Amino acid sequence: MPTPPQPTVPSRRPVAIERPVAITRRRERPRQLLALLAICLAALVTGWVQAAPAPGSPQGAAKPPKSAEPKPAAKPGSAAPAASQAAHGSASSAPSGSAPGANVSAANGSPGAPQSGYVHGLAPLPGDAPVPLHLRPPGARADDGGPSPIIFPAQKLTIRFNHKKHSQELGLTCKACHDAAASSQKSSDRLLPSPERCDGCHATDHRDLSAVTADASELIGQCGFCHIGYKEGDKNRVARLTLPKPNLKFSHKAHIDRNIGCEQCHGAVEELELATRDQLPRMSGCLKCHQAPEPARGDAKGQCTTCHLTERPGGTLRTQFPQGQLTPPNWLHNAGHTPDWLERHKYVAGADSQLCSSCHTEKYCTDCHDGRVRPRKVHPNDFISSHPIAARQGGQRCTSCHQQQSFCVGCHQRAGVTLSGPYGQFAGRGRFHPPKAEWTDPPRSASHHAWEAQRNLNACVSCHQERDCLICHSTAAVGGRGMSGMGTSGQGVNPHPTGFRSRCGTALRKNARACLTCHDPADPQLRECR
Amino acid sequence: MPKGGNGALQRGALAVATLLSASLTASLASGYEAEVTARSDAQFYTLQSPYGDPLLRRRRYTQTLGLTVYDITGSYEPGAPQLSARALLRMDADFGQDARERSPSTPDRYIPGLEQAPLDLMYAYVEGRGYLGGLLGFRAGRQYVVDALGWWSFDGGLAKLSTPAYFNVDIYGGFEQRGGLPWLSTSRFEAQGVYRGDRSGLAAGDWPSFLDQSTPAPAYGFALESSGVHFLSTRLSYRKVINRDEVRLTPFDDGSGAIQVMKGDRVSSERLGYAARVSHESLGSLHGEAVYDLYNQLVSELSGGIDAYVTERLTLGASYDYYLPTFDGDSIWNWFSHNGQTTLSGRAVLELSRRFDVALSGGARLYTTDGDPVTYGAYQRSSQLADRESIKTLVDHFGDVSGGYRWPSGSVHLGALAETGQRGHRYGADLTTRQRFDQGRYDTLLVLSLHDWEDGLRPQRSATSVGYVAGLGHELIEETRVGLEWEHHTSRLVGQRYRVLATLDLTLLD
Repeated sequence: MPTPPQPTVPSRRPVAIERPVAITRRRERPRQLLALLAICLAALVTGWVQAAPAPGSPQGAAKPPKSAEPKPAAKPGSAAPAASQAAHGSASSAPSGSAPGANVSAANGSPGAPQSGYVHGLAPLPGDAPVPLHLRPPGARADDGGPSPIIFPAQKLTIRFNHKKHSQELGLTCKACHDAAASSQKSSDRLLPSPERCDGCHATDHRDLSAVTADASELIGQCGFCHIGYKEGDKNRVARLTLPKPNLKFSHKAHIDRNIGCEQCHGAVEELELATRDQLPRMSGCLKCHQAPEPARGDAKGQCTTCHLTERPGGTLRTQFPQGQLTPPNWLHNAGHTPDWLERHKYVAGADSQLCSSCHTEKYCTDCHDGRVRPRKVHPNDFISSHPIAARQGGQRCTSCHQQQSFCVGCHQRAGVTLSGPYGQFAGRGRFHPPKAEWTDPPRSASHHAWEAQRNLNACVSCHQERDCLICHSTAAVGGRGMSGMGTSGQGVNPHPTGFRSRCGTALRKNARACLTCHDPADPQLRECR
Repeated sequence: MPKGGNGALQRGALAVATLLSASLTASLASGYEAEVTARSDAQFYTLQSPYGDPLLRRRRYTQTLGLTVYDITGSYEPGAPQLSARALLRMDADFGQDARERSPSTPDRYIPGLEQAPLDLMYAYVEGRGYLGGLLGFRAGRQYVVDALGWWSFDGGLAKLSTPAYFNVDIYGGFEQRGGLPWLSTSRFEAQGVYRGDRSGLAAGDWPSFLDQSTPAPAYGFALESSGVHFLSTRLSYRKVINRDEVRLTPFDDGSGAIQVMKGDRVSSERLGYAARVSHESLGSLHGEAVYDLYNQLVSELSGGIDAYVTERLTLGASYDYYLPTFDGDSIWNWFSHNGQTTLSGRAVLELSRRFDVALSGGARLYTTDGDPVTYGAYQRSSQLADRESIKTLVDHFGDVSGGYRWPSGSVHLGALAETGQRGHRYGADLTTRQRFDQGRYDTLLVLSLHDWEDGLRPQRSATSVGYVAGLGHELIEETRVGLEWEHHTSRLVGQRYRVLATLDLTLLD
């Protein structure tokens, strides 16, 4: 059946069906028979067995019928495209679970011939109406687009099935068909019932799949009633139903053993007709328990690796799948890898030392944070040409990855754009800084650079050495001593910001080197800090 | 040459010994799994000085070699203690260097600290998890620490205590990874403002302003991190690094040719950081981060933001970010930092479908300075406080648009930016397309780019750049990929510039 694996929930009504012996309860058989009779009568009364529209038509195949009104009979020869379209159309991962509406017509008297007229079981709700939020799995959101297609790959549903009818009208429990869930410990386990289980009520015989028999006299016994796109005479073949295994670790048994009902993960499937991917669990629903405070969650560990597949060895999550790359949803710690994730990932990484390492190894991080090959996703193309603008104007955060003295200054020295450096080759080139008119001419002065340094000190430090600053900023005693041989002396130009005096004492105690670089130990200003 | 062949040999031998010892450790245990990775990158391109020359020919070859050994103590068992070892070694060679750039005997070309083929051990540690019933974990060796204080590396030990009381404790101690140390280190993780390296072969008075001798710097710290509360993530971090090297007080001699030096323990950096995030799956998220520099006694970083999940597909957010440059305690530039840069921004992310999303952001950066930009320089003496205490704020604006469309075998991504302000503008966009073929055996890359920038201070450096990148990759066998990328840019500044990147990725599993 085209339904997600579902463990059982307590039955509201004990029921019986004929063939699945394990779940048959003999004393309920009369009620079952009465129900079947009622279905047949209802079908006759409402005209469900009347002719259907052409299966190849959009109404008949690509889209489910919007009503249960009788449709024109199909031409047998037009069934092939209908089957094809049905198979592909049903691959949709849409949350509404839109499904094809090809059916079997009994009007032509040929068992299994295409028809449509009975429109139920082709979509979650009649007319493919949107499924209300309260019927969807816990954690689902109104416009979430269904569960992750990486975790639950797209399906091809080629079976009509009406859960609501089986559950509410016939009184079947989830366990009646999905009894294998109770012992399932792997997400790859196949939890759909075998087709033989349908035989008891549907007057079919699936014991030998190469020679399935059906009772053409009953609507529900016709192959095309359940097998969408079934074409009479096509060697009894039906469209393949594809339910890819989830990319997830999951034990139904562990959850059932903890008395967790089907609806706690799958929503109100018993209220729906066709169960689609949309009824598969949402991670936010899982986290209701798995991220509960430890005493409450018990064995429901909150680690990512509890459910997600891991790369062995290593233990990091597997993120590459044929369906695409697995990334966290935005609501999970605000860590959605949105297009601007690069700009804001530090806020997530800084507060949580473990989250990033769930998926990434250090090597992944170092490719950018300590890389030697320019990562394209960090800097725009030809950044080497435009980086001066970025450094002076941008976020000044070059230092989050680059050490100024070794990375920036080293290259600038080689290129000859520093004041101090291999002076022989680059002497006489003229100024690198802006023209005098903008930099030093009145009303500005040669010290205008100090204002520029306040604006963006990192831009200065990425080229200049301490020595360049000390020539003027060291006090006379120090500078005079050091530069006497060159005929200059320190001028004692005060670079300190306002309010510096209140904190200079502590700085002096912690590390006096920077102080003594400019100030003589006997400098009265230094004594004030002591 | 200060970097003699012997030194390189020693470092190489040490690296090999490290990897071999890790392998030996693994071989002594049963049930272990080992992974060996290797990546080779060859890059060929040129960089032109703004003056036209020199033309730096980069002929780079980068080789990384990684070894990871899992389950050293035996086969993996869920919940049982696990022991693993990881190491990654890298050589980054540039064969395009001029030999004179590395020779102190040619001072007109000599670049202190420049090495042709530096080796560094990016990380190498043994990690234990789940000891004492899951309460204790540890790491020993060269390792990273990532928190509000940044991305940092040290050699030493870290103990991680997982308490049942909704928080974990990390305590660590060791030596900061610094450039020039004899054990395969880089300067990437040092505080800014000081360049330390290998001064062997250099006299004390040679190039004192460019390169300091590197010695081990003790470091320690701790972190308290929330745990088990899914809507809240917080991490409080403290770290202190101590300089113990002998450092020159000034690059100038005292007139008699002597160099004054300072010895003894002193603070390199001492910082306290806190990051917190509160999130609600339906409403949105709040985050905040602060770093207090205990040496400078000021808040050097402060940020906060809010993101609201307006609809299932639309997220709106706003953020605040403040940043003030701080430096190593040995650096004079700590005392040149005045006011920080403040960034205010808003963002919107629209997820049109699972395959298609778009993000827009924009805002303003505020630069606050003491004094008027025109008259400031005229009042340079400290006595002119009246001018210095006036505050001026300048504003730059920026905006970014990025979006992507993905399909199972490929993607297309647009990244566009616009920044404009007093220092010029940058406008541009990159359109990147990736496509895999034959179930991923072949992949292609195509990048088209157009960028325009104006240097407000140096108009002659303004340009428009047009470029493209074409790449092809092939998975030779499982986990082995070769790739080749061709990059071509055209602009008024550089004329035609080409870059070739060839890569070989290899992974072996035992």
